[in-house]
Amino acid sequence: MALVERIEERIVKVPLESATRDGVIDELVGVLAAAGLIADREAARAAVMEREAKGSTGLAEGIAVPHGKTPAVKDLAIAIGVSREGVDFGAMDGLPSRLFFLIMAPPDKAGPHIEALAEIARMARSKAFCRALVGAGDAREVVELLRGD
Amino acid sequence: MDGPIRKLLVYVDGSEGSFDAVRLAVVLARTFGAGLRALAVVDTRALGELVQARIFLEAEREEYRRDLEGDVGRYLRRAVELGRRKGVEVETKSAQGSVSAEIKACVLECGIDLLVVGEMAQVRSRRDELYDEVDRAMRTVPCSVFVAKNGDRIEEIYDQLD
Repeated sequence: MALVERIEERIVKVPLESATRDGVIDELVGVLAAAGLIADREAARAAVMEREAKGSTGLAEGIAVPHGKTPAVKDLAIAIGVSREGVDFGAMDGLPSRLFFLIMAPPDKAGPHIEALAEIARMARSKAFCRALVGAGDAREVVELLRGD
Repeated sequence: MDGPIRKLLVYVDGSEGSFDAVRLAVVLARTFGAGLRALAVVDTRALGELVQARIFLEAEREEYRRDLEGDVGRYLRRAVELGRRKGVEVETKSAQGSVSAEIKACVLECGIDLLVVGEMAQVRSRRDELYDEVDRAMRTVPCSVFVAKNGDRIEEIYDQLD
């Protein structure tokens, strides 16, 4: 619920242009900033990088879920990106990551943050669905897939 | 406390919809002379799923559990305040575990006659419908369930209460 009701084309970028972990994070933070969902872009980026420094959020099967808590957002903020080439995100299976969910929440909104991450964890169990998202031609297709699944 | 409804339970998750449910539950408690209990749950099941999926580090689970405990305390204090403004005492209960299981357990333990919950999101995927914990609670509790809809109207009704 927390995830799907927040998904709209303006927070989805297909394809991502960056070829590095830091570049992808910066690009997705930029998507949220352009959508007016971040007050302080640098603080938001720092929060995500700080979490990433503790351990990669690259999961198996080409999915990565960079996330962080920061007062730079007033509410739960989600951006989705798809990389055509794949990016080395230090994933647990060593494979490049192609599907990215950037999640940021203010420190006092842990509930929606957890809920959104749990939804992604469930989604990640369906390899076919994740393949469909990676294969989406544009942002609109990603939104339709997420809402229709 | 001898009306058709004696014990009400309202589930609070911090969403505005759940506080609409609290307002409506306060109105119902006054109208029926019923006791009102508010329940909030630290969803440790979701935290476990995130560690299992390796989205969370073990240290993050603890950090977020503490955050969630803080959230739950705030939600329940707000519920108590909404009751106090209308002269309704709201008993509070916090729990940790799976949301649907804790709601059901509270209904059974407290002999609840009516569960009040907030409106479900209108944009939901099929996966959401499968996993939504409040939805599951509505289907499994052994008492009647009241879904609070139309927050503006509920606020009017609440405000009109002397």
